[in-house]
Amino acid sequence: MSRSTWRGIIGTLLVLAAWEGAARGFQLPAYTLPAVSDILAAAWRTRAALIPAGWLTMLEALSGYAVGSLLGIGFAVLMAVVTPLRGPLLPVLMAINSVPVAAYSPLVLLWFGIGVASKVVMVALAVGFTVFLSALAGFDRVDRRSVDLMRSFGAGRAAILWRLRLPAALPLIATGMRVSTVRSLIVAIVTEMLGAYGGLGWIIYQAVVQIDFVQVWSAILVASCISLAFFGLVGAIERRVIFWR
Amino acid sequence: MQRRALLGTLGATGLFPAIRPAGAQGLQRATLRLKWLAQTQFAGFYLALQRGYYREAGIDLTINPGGPNLLTENLVATGADTFGLSGGTDSVFAARERNLPIQCVGIAHQQTPFVFVVRNNSPIRTLQDFRGKTITTWFTGANYVLLGMLAQAGLRQGEFTMQPQQVSVTPFVDGQIDVVTATRYNEFYTLMTRMGRDNLRVFVPDDFGITFPRDTLIVSEQTARDKPEMVKGFLRASIRGWREALADKKAGVDAVMAVAPTLNREHQEFMLEEAGKLMVAGAAAQNGMFWINQDAVKAAHDFLLRYEVIKSAVNLPAAYNNSFMESLTAAERGV
Amino acid sequence: MKAVLRLVLGLLIAAAVWQGAVLAFGIRPHILPRLEMIWGAVLQAPHAYWQGFLRTLIETLIGFAMGAFIGVLNGVVFFRLPALRDMLLPIFVVSQTIPVIAFGALVVLWFGNTLMAKAIIAFYLTFFPVTVNTLLGLNSVDPRQVDLLRSFGAKGPQILFRLQLPMALPQIFVALRLAASLSLVGAIVGEWFGDTTGLGVMLLQAMYNENVVALWAAIFCCAILGTGFYALVAWVERRLVFWGAEQ
Repeated sequence: MSRSTWRGIIGTLLVLAAWEGAARGFQLPAYTLPAVSDILAAAWRTRAALIPAGWLTMLEALSGYAVGSLLGIGFAVLMAVVTPLRGPLLPVLMAINSVPVAAYSPLVLLWFGIGVASKVVMVALAVGFTVFLSALAGFDRVDRRSVDLMRSFGAGRAAILWRLRLPAALPLIATGMRVSTVRSLIVAIVTEMLGAYGGLGWIIYQAVVQIDFVQVWSAILVASCISLAFFGLVGAIERRVIFWR
Repeated sequence: MQRRALLGTLGATGLFPAIRPAGAQGLQRATLRLKWLAQTQFAGFYLALQRGYYREAGIDLTINPGGPNLLTENLVATGADTFGLSGGTDSVFAARERNLPIQCVGIAHQQTPFVFVVRNNSPIRTLQDFRGKTITTWFTGANYVLLGMLAQAGLRQGEFTMQPQQVSVTPFVDGQIDVVTATRYNEFYTLMTRMGRDNLRVFVPDDFGITFPRDTLIVSEQTARDKPEMVKGFLRASIRGWREALADKKAGVDAVMAVAPTLNREHQEFMLEEAGKLMVAGAAAQNGMFWINQDAVKAAHDFLLRYEVIKSAVNLPAAYNNSFMESLTAAERGV
Repeated sequence: MKAVLRLVLGLLIAAAVWQGAVLAFGIRPHILPRLEMIWGAVLQAPHAYWQGFLRTLIETLIGFAMGAFIGVLNGVVFFRLPALRDMLLPIFVVSQTIPVIAFGALVVLWFGNTLMAKAIIAFYLTFFPVTVNTLLGLNSVDPRQVDLLRSFGAKGPQILFRLQLPMALPQIFVALRLAASLSLVGAIVGEWFGDTTGLGVMLLQAMYNENVVALWAAIFCCAILGTGFYALVAWVERRLVFWGAEQ
């Protein structure tokens, strides 16, 4: 393993040790901050419930992530190519985006029901805008002179987009997509907490009502692990695709 | 105890204290954490505050609204809040089972505040008719009440479909589901305005012998032990506020609307009316509002124990302390 | 001026589509209410909406300022001290995987129902993207330019403020624009842990009372706040990052 990985592990262990130490040392009750060891034990004990819930939440997040990323990039390409659309459409999209996704959740639950569809829509909404903004910023990043140069050689809009804008935008798109991984899971969980048949958010909600804070944190632990794996995966793909940087 | 005191100080005055004038000398500072946002379900507290009854009782009170995923029991146990109007007997049992040092000192809603609603033109006329139907309910206690009711009618789990209820009753209004759960003061109003009262038929848990007292007034064990006079003063002032809010509903609604002006007034008037009925029902009729009916508490406890919602028996006398209510004079209790 | 006209045009088209759809398809008000109903709701209690707007605005601004400052600071520190970056960045990533709602009760426990509690949550959502993008921007500075400046005798701080940070600004601003939206999310979600005023409170109240008109009224207030704040950040960006390829 590389040095940076080791450092990461050491840093994480230090924080976990501090957490465990604080919880045990000050004898904090579980309703304030449960000890790490208790959380791990509870996660193992309730794995029969946590694993299927984790799968469900992960599937919702991944589906929404895929839909959102495609839509985000698609809209950005559209606006980069058909620039007149930008004037009227961008402010409306910005206005929609500036409302926290959580605020749409009652409407989305109303329109798409309490099942998987509403979570996918919410995740797609959250991911879509982040990717869209990053991609649009990326497409705009190219030097005006380079565009003019290519145009003087007779290159069309499509060629400029493919040869010039897309390579320039890729790092930003990748960053946007990487940041979105974590959000996709959180949005899925938050939507589940408002209404669902299952999933980690549902477990968290149930546990809060039953005042079982160790269970809350063990569900969060599972969510964190999935987020991290997803984040790492997208990061790895990013490094391979944008290898020339 | 030092630990809790420290946490309490951090929470109550904290690094970034709720900035309040220091003029309130001789008054004890305290907070009341509600189970939800400001609405007339809590009108009496707001009216008592507005009319200065807590100050007369020597309490400089701040009312903190609740919210989703904010647990009143938790905030009171840690000392972040002094008083709490928490979920109900069910959440008090759960808290005591997890060793949260809280105590119930009064109960607001003497009857089960929610009912199960079907369309009047639906074939569902008795509980037996629930067989094969789709029901949505809250998986936070109401589901067990319904399970208990249906078990009495001879229906077992699996003979009907029970789904978690989302924030909206629209699926019921649109006819996608057969039975919906509604609190008498909130969801029922939405159902009424969208469908008309005459088009609804209601199944009341209390009619089937299942009573779940809810909206419990809680304090930490420490407060109950160290500041009994403050608890009594709080109860006295709250009862006075509530009696006046129920006698003069406009004043009660106004007190809440002053805090939350974007609320729908008609809905709030309805809510106060219905919440008031729940508060003066049962044991409260003879003994005054907030009286703890130990029999009803015991019945709810045994019921939840039977359904294994709570795993072990809760020490009821320690969890439900009616002594503060009992120490008030009949006049103070309004009887 | 042209931009303002376009904005107005876009909004007018959106409003026309909305109103047209509601009237043409007879959409029921509890799914999509007519615009004048929403406007009427605001006019009924303009003071309350204004108070809520202001309150949420302040929380958003404080959270954003804290997030932007700490984020850039983190980025610079991590850039200068890679060992620290390797140790802390994974933890930051982990911290971002925890939904706010899960530990919101802790924030209330520590900070009470104060403005600060909301600002902290807004900060928590914003500092991470700013950190990552600052680091990314600093890393993408051409090392030959750094060497050149150094050969002229420039010191570390000089290189940082004259070359590296300015070069990283476009990247940083991408994150700041994102942070503008996220800080509003934080402020609103923060208000869901018990508060009396604010747009988040209004959203919640409307949601659970199934008051769709009030829900839309609150959503529109959020949209105005969010768009305004975003536009402000974008405007600052255009003034500062004039070399960014503006079309």
